[in-house]
Amino acid sequence: MNAVIDVQHLKKTFNKEAALQDVSFTIQKGEIFGFLGPSGSGKTTTIKILTAQTEKTAGDVLLFGRPADEMKQSRNRKRFGILTDNSGLYTRLSIEENLLLYSDLYQLPKSAVKEALDFVNLYSERKKKISQLSKGMIQRVTLARAIMHEPELLFLDEPTSALDPVNTQHIYNGLRRLNEMGTTIFLTTHDMSEAEILCDRVAFLHKGKIRAIGAPKQLKKEFGDDSITVELKNGACEIIQNGEQDAQKLFHWMQSNEVSRIYTNEPTLGNIFMQITGSDLI
Amino acid sequence: MNLSMTRIQAIFMKDYKEFSRNYAVSSMALMPLIFAFLNNQTGANTIGMYFLPINMAFSVVTSYVQCCLIAEEKEKNTLRGLMLSPASLGDILIGKSLFVFIVTAVVVATTIFLVGYEPANLFIIAITLLLSAVFYIALGTLCGLLAKSILEASIIVLPVMLIFSFGPLALALSSANPILKVAEWLPSSQLLILAEALEGQYTTMDVIIPIATIIVWSLVTWIVAGFIYKKRMVD
Repeated sequence: MNAVIDVQHLKKTFNKEAALQDVSFTIQKGEIFGFLGPSGSGKTTTIKILTAQTEKTAGDVLLFGRPADEMKQSRNRKRFGILTDNSGLYTRLSIEENLLLYSDLYQLPKSAVKEALDFVNLYSERKKKISQLSKGMIQRVTLARAIMHEPELLFLDEPTSALDPVNTQHIYNGLRRLNEMGTTIFLTTHDMSEAEILCDRVAFLHKGKIRAIGAPKQLKKEFGDDSITVELKNGACEIIQNGEQDAQKLFHWMQSNEVSRIYTNEPTLGNIFMQITGSDLI
Repeated sequence: MNLSMTRIQAIFMKDYKEFSRNYAVSSMALMPLIFAFLNNQTGANTIGMYFLPINMAFSVVTSYVQCCLIAEEKEKNTLRGLMLSPASLGDILIGKSLFVFIVTAVVVATTIFLVGYEPANLFIIAITLLLSAVFYIALGTLCGLLAKSILEASIIVLPVMLIFSFGPLALALSSANPILKVAEWLPSSQLLILAEALEGQYTTMDVIIPIATIIVWSLVTWIVAGFIYKKRMVD
């Protein structure tokens, strides 16, 4: 397996205050990796260090096997794409003019602009000026710019935070398609359902430290219990565990046609985050 | 340094579109032209009077416009977008300077025409004006990189405009106040000194010293601007 990102013992301090402490993780080629945490937990700082926009205080950060600092070199910048909440679009230019500029900077054919606009479902709006767009549309344009050159590695900082459900689903489908084509995706979000839908693995970041890391299913298994909830037709809810005694109870309810619904008590990623950190994801 | 004509041209075209839709900045290009026209109407016919609107064009158009274009890129975070693209430092700085350079050339040429100045040696004056444009673009780039917003940029660039536009006037007062003699070494003063020398009998040194002074100012300013740019690449 090839590690696209390899971070070991990363530390970052701002005015002696630790923003990241001993952060270590590895992301393999083709993975969708979710970096989950509340606002101020260090997610954006991590992206900035990985894309050489911020200097690290200590630790080793490798991208494609080379020090992240080398991402400052213009030839290496083709290898990744980035979407952040601070759009960096030219407000007096149209959507199409903004993307045409970047297609020239990346030396892409003009057809790349149409493909990117189709990806974010904005082709019909391409003549609109950025100053006339909603926050959600700006986010889609920024995403189009980030994926236009089909990067090997894509950094997405809260990619769907301003999108409606229809466009969110459209973006999810597009990201999966990109991933199937080989793009590794590093995604930060505080939307747990987004992480569950998209990510192969997630890391929980809290106050600059990684508290847990693994595949969503694995984390749920690790932090959940084996109990199931049985809702009876009389309105009662019973929680039962694996074992002969509870199995007989369930058998009895089913035999007497008393069961309304049965479901597992699998925790959500949000539940796990709260369990580990004692705080909510806001 | 890696340079790509496609990227330089893309940044140039982007700046042209932005400039033509930004009336607050583009209208500044008219100021020296109006001043030159009025200057001509007063019957001014000394080299010092001819070069007042020309030096004004350099500071008001070249430095100010460049400063505002760079500061706006910083304020809207678009400069970071360019820095994260494959465009090199050279692509970005040349691309961003080329547009202002062309606007400067047009404005200075029109100013010279309006003011009625006919240089004794057009070739040397043209070379010196081109070198001056390169210096004022560097100055505008530096001011734009130092500012955090357009508002801050328009404040930072004001004393710069004042010093470099009216430096030659300070030189006229240097007999009463010797400290003002330092203004002699400003690029605007050197341009004027050269233009005056060319009108009479001049030596090679009369040409070399002003040109060399402007080149040194340009080099130092571009080096500092490049250093600040590199620093702005990281937070």
